[in-house]
Amino acid sequence: MTSATSAAPAEGSALPRLRLCGAPAGWLVCAAMVAALTGAIGLLQPYLPVPGLAALYLLTVLPAAVVWGFAHAVAVSVVGIAAFNFFYTPPAYQLAPEAWGDWFALTILAVTALVVSELATWSRRQAQEAALLARVAAALLEHGEVSGHLERMTADALGAGKAQILLDTGPAHGTGGECHPLAVGGRQVGTIVLRQLPRRGAAARRRVLPALASLLGVAIDRERLARQALEAETLRRSDAVKTAILQAVSHDLRTPLMAILTSAGALARRGMALDDCDRADLLSTVLEEAGRLDRLVGNLLDLSRLQAGAAEPLADVVAVDDLVVAALDQLTDQAGRVRPSFPWDPPAVRVDPHQMERVLVNLVENALKYSLASEPVFVRVTATCSETLIRVIDHGPGVAAAESQRIFAAFQRGPGSGSVRGAGLGLAIAEGFAEANGGRIWLESHEGQGATFVLALPVWHLETQL
Amino acid sequence: MNARVLVIDDEPQIVRVLRTVLEKHGYQTDTALTGRAALAAAARRPPALVVVDLDLPDMKGVEIIRSLRRWSRAPIIVLSGRARSGDKVDALDAGADDYVTKPFSTDELLARLRAALRRAGDVSDIAQVRVGGHMVDLARHVVLGPEGEVELTPTEWEVLEMLVRNVGKLISQPQLLTEVGGADYLRESNSLRVLLTRLRHKLEYDPARPRHLITEPGMGYRFSA
Repeated sequence: MTSATSAAPAEGSALPRLRLCGAPAGWLVCAAMVAALTGAIGLLQPYLPVPGLAALYLLTVLPAAVVWGFAHAVAVSVVGIAAFNFFYTPPAYQLAPEAWGDWFALTILAVTALVVSELATWSRRQAQEAALLARVAAALLEHGEVSGHLERMTADALGAGKAQILLDTGPAHGTGGECHPLAVGGRQVGTIVLRQLPRRGAAARRRVLPALASLLGVAIDRERLARQALEAETLRRSDAVKTAILQAVSHDLRTPLMAILTSAGALARRGMALDDCDRADLLSTVLEEAGRLDRLVGNLLDLSRLQAGAAEPLADVVAVDDLVVAALDQLTDQAGRVRPSFPWDPPAVRVDPHQMERVLVNLVENALKYSLASEPVFVRVTATCSETLIRVIDHGPGVAAAESQRIFAAFQRGPGSGSVRGAGLGLAIAEGFAEANGGRIWLESHEGQGATFVLALPVWHLETQL
Repeated sequence: MNARVLVIDDEPQIVRVLRTVLEKHGYQTDTALTGRAALAAAARRPPALVVVDLDLPDMKGVEIIRSLRRWSRAPIIVLSGRARSGDKVDALDAGADDYVTKPFSTDELLARLRAALRRAGDVSDIAQVRVGGHMVDLARHVVLGPEGEVELTPTEWEVLEMLVRNVGKLISQPQLLTEVGGADYLRESNSLRVLLTRLRHKLEYDPARPRHLITEPGMGYRFSA
């Protein structure tokens, strides 16, 4: 008689469980039901033929079988029929074992009890397994992976002490415990290892495992496909970026090259009557354009290093004014337009001097390019005890508030930049280097007021290092 | 001049330009395209000055410098690309005297060559030097400016003198600190740069655009004539 014990408590059973405190309460309720029904029969007795009333005990046997199982149901049948026999079968208030109608009724009730209780158990078990699989499916689809929670759920439902689900493995080696391969469509997707198994329940496991395997197979496939989709998207995006870079850059590379080739070609020709002035002009064009190419290539290298995460700063303690001075030194051609100003005691910062110079050169070059040649560009350095601010101020057309974030992206040019040369890398590089060195850059002003770019760097104090 | 210069660079175009320029200015030029060839050439005909590119195919520039420094005290000037200043600093630590960043102007290279070849004794008789609108009298330890005498602290004098006596040469911070008294204090308080700033404020026309007292961040200091 395994039906009583196989009705084990499990979550999600759709069948009602009047399990108030377990089996003892069940007996009490059954006894109450029998008593109540016996009493009710007493009331009905004057109106209906007595022998047929024994059938009413079905009303107690059915609930007992469904809820508590075979033992309760049989007990209810026996006690019920006995009560009926005692109270109602003639002679009344006496057990009459020769009343074969009652024996017949008892037999029928017992058979009913057996059938119904088995059906109830089977039904309950189906529900449990379905619930487990539903939960597994939900967990897999939600997390896309096998978690400890899932393994615990599986262990509970299969009646094992511990369960382990290994994905994507070949046949598992004996690690203690029962190993079941999880196969989907002939393909092994993983292995379940069950430990601390009770003897019974092997049949249940056999039933559940194929469905579990299918679910796992689906989950694994889904994960793999999601990964592939992500990789494909990343690749596509990086290709798109590369194409954009090539397009943006090829124009800016070819323009100076054309100028150089043309000028140098003219210089090299023997038939041309060039005076010193012409010659000097052509040569200066060659030098200027070559310088421009050099800067562009330098910018591209810097940008690619930044984007590849290969721009480790080599930090050194330097004075802010020295940085600005060194940067301005690199802008020989329009240096006269720049007006630097420093506080009396410029603070020190701990940065990579080369990278910071690039930041300042880019900011000042931008300021020079986007303002009139007749106007000065100011570089103002101020400091608090924690931060130093370097402001590069021009009085050109400025940048609209809506653009103030976008201009820091690579290859972005401001809307008013039609005639200004350059591939739009300067600010992206400046931001990259500034952040790599612990600083930040932002735009402080708006359209119509010119542009003020601010570079903030943390001040380096000797005392904090000791 | 007739000083012998050894140029070590693997790029033939650079070598060609350098040879042309140097020979035009009276230097004898030996060239080598690899580190090994360079060391052999230097051993065969010891140069008065070496110009070495840091990015050579067979040996790193720093190794060549170390090898040379084992037996030669000839000044070494390093040619390097613009980026990683770590290479340049390593080269200076290994014994190089100065550096020039590619692409360089030939004027700059020649100026540094001249400075490097000048021995300390050659400038010991510089008595006076102009800095900004000031006349610095090294013999009498006095700085005269348009508004009269300018006071310099003893440490400021030592630093100024060292830079001036090595006019055109790069002096690294450790070098400067070794020479100057009160070096421990300067090193500890990191006020060498503050001292330079003070000197610039006292002497230069425009402290924000110094012409003479140059700081090369991460590398060192230079007095430019």
